[in-house]
Amino acid sequence: MNVRRWYIPIAVGWTVLVAVLVVVAPVPLLDRLPDPLATHWGLSGRADGASPYWLDALVMVLLWLVIAGLPLYRLIRGDALRRRHDRRWMCAVLAGGGVFVLALQTMTILANLDRTDWRDAAPVGPGTLLAVFGVSALAGAIGWALARPGPDEEPPASGRRPPRPLRTLRSGERAVWVSSATAGWAVTAGSGLLLLAVLLGVLPPLGTEHRIVLAVSTGVSAVAALALSGVRVQVNARGLAVAFGPLRWPVRRIPLDRIDRAFVDRRWPADVGGWGYRVRPGSSTVMIRGGECLVVRYGSGRELAISVDDAERGAALLNSLVAERDNDRS
Amino acid sequence: MLLTLDLNDPRPLHEQIAEAVRRAIALGDVRPGDRLPPARDLAAALGVNTNTALRALRELRDEGVLEFRRGRGVSVLRAPEPREVLRDRVTALLEEAERYGYRVDEVIEIVRELAEAKEGRR
Repeated sequence: MNVRRWYIPIAVGWTVLVAVLVVVAPVPLLDRLPDPLATHWGLSGRADGASPYWLDALVMVLLWLVIAGLPLYRLIRGDALRRRHDRRWMCAVLAGGGVFVLALQTMTILANLDRTDWRDAAPVGPGTLLAVFGVSALAGAIGWALARPGPDEEPPASGRRPPRPLRTLRSGERAVWVSSATAGWAVTAGSGLLLLAVLLGVLPPLGTEHRIVLAVSTGVSAVAALALSGVRVQVNARGLAVAFGPLRWPVRRIPLDRIDRAFVDRRWPADVGGWGYRVRPGSSTVMIRGGECLVVRYGSGRELAISVDDAERGAALLNSLVAERDNDRS
Repeated sequence: MLLTLDLNDPRPLHEQIAEAVRRAIALGDVRPGDRLPPARDLAAALGVNTNTALRALRELRDEGVLEFRRGRGVSVLRAPEPREVLRDRVTALLEEAERYGYRVDEVIEIVRELAEAKEGRR
């Protein structure tokens, strides 16, 4: 169990180590490097861009921080640590990304070493690039393998719990449950795309037909991202209703008659094949964010899962309503 | 958030909704700092007009239970005193009793009988 505690210090240590190495390791060689350095190579393999050493180091560190940001965030926030699958991906990205940045910097320094002018820097061909990517992929695979220790931990409130009715509803009592789930990144991405679509449609610099195609395709992506950026879920005597996106449209309604029972499960995008509306044999999932999901099982045996906060109360109310319905029938 | 309304309650709907929200907060379903579902979603689920739900939320804001913030929706500022929640329920009880023609002291008599019966069972 304690194995998992080591991931965070190691990941943070690795991030700092790579950042420091990228900046500090070339410093003893500065005498043997031209100023500015060749830092960009064209498709022909010849150096076609240069920058002073400090800028090269800064760009490398920024590149590294961009790569390491998401895995570090997910490891430290804790949700990626619990599941081996997530943990392995995060460690693979950290290891592969770190080695990639180091290899890139090494390549730059070696190409410039002992040249007096950056234009004379050694060319960079496909072989060198292949080596850089190969080493990175290897490091990624090692990171993947190293992240194995430690079991999959399910948080205490987890697993498929048996349906547990809230309590019997009194006659003449109306109970409703309202909740939601949002994916902040999808809201940001969708709004950004929408803005881009409008700009593309309005601004003049593109040719007309290109502009229309680009604006429409960007617009469609924006609408898709926004529709899947959140759900609003309600349970009342009529059944379950799931409304998508900020406009609450489209709405998926499941009448109480079709529902057999409800329960809570924890599901992740990796389990169901990604984000969005995922259809799999026997079970569909509305995956907005990983974690707590409200699952309803139909009389037909099919399941619909919706990632939503406070799912437990929703499932309990659904079960109470179903019990009440069955009592009325008998 | 789970809300329950009593269909026999003679009070106006917005008061009942305010009471249901107050009770949900007092019971700890929603805690201070948490955001409430938007009024239009509450209204849609309850099958009432959005303005009715909004009116209920405004009452709670005026009591200092909720906070309205532009762009951030409605969030819980503090949990109401359990006593306030009980007062709500007793008010509803007294109003219902009045419809059946009971006087306040008769209701108190019923409450006392029930309390004694409960005490006796222990």
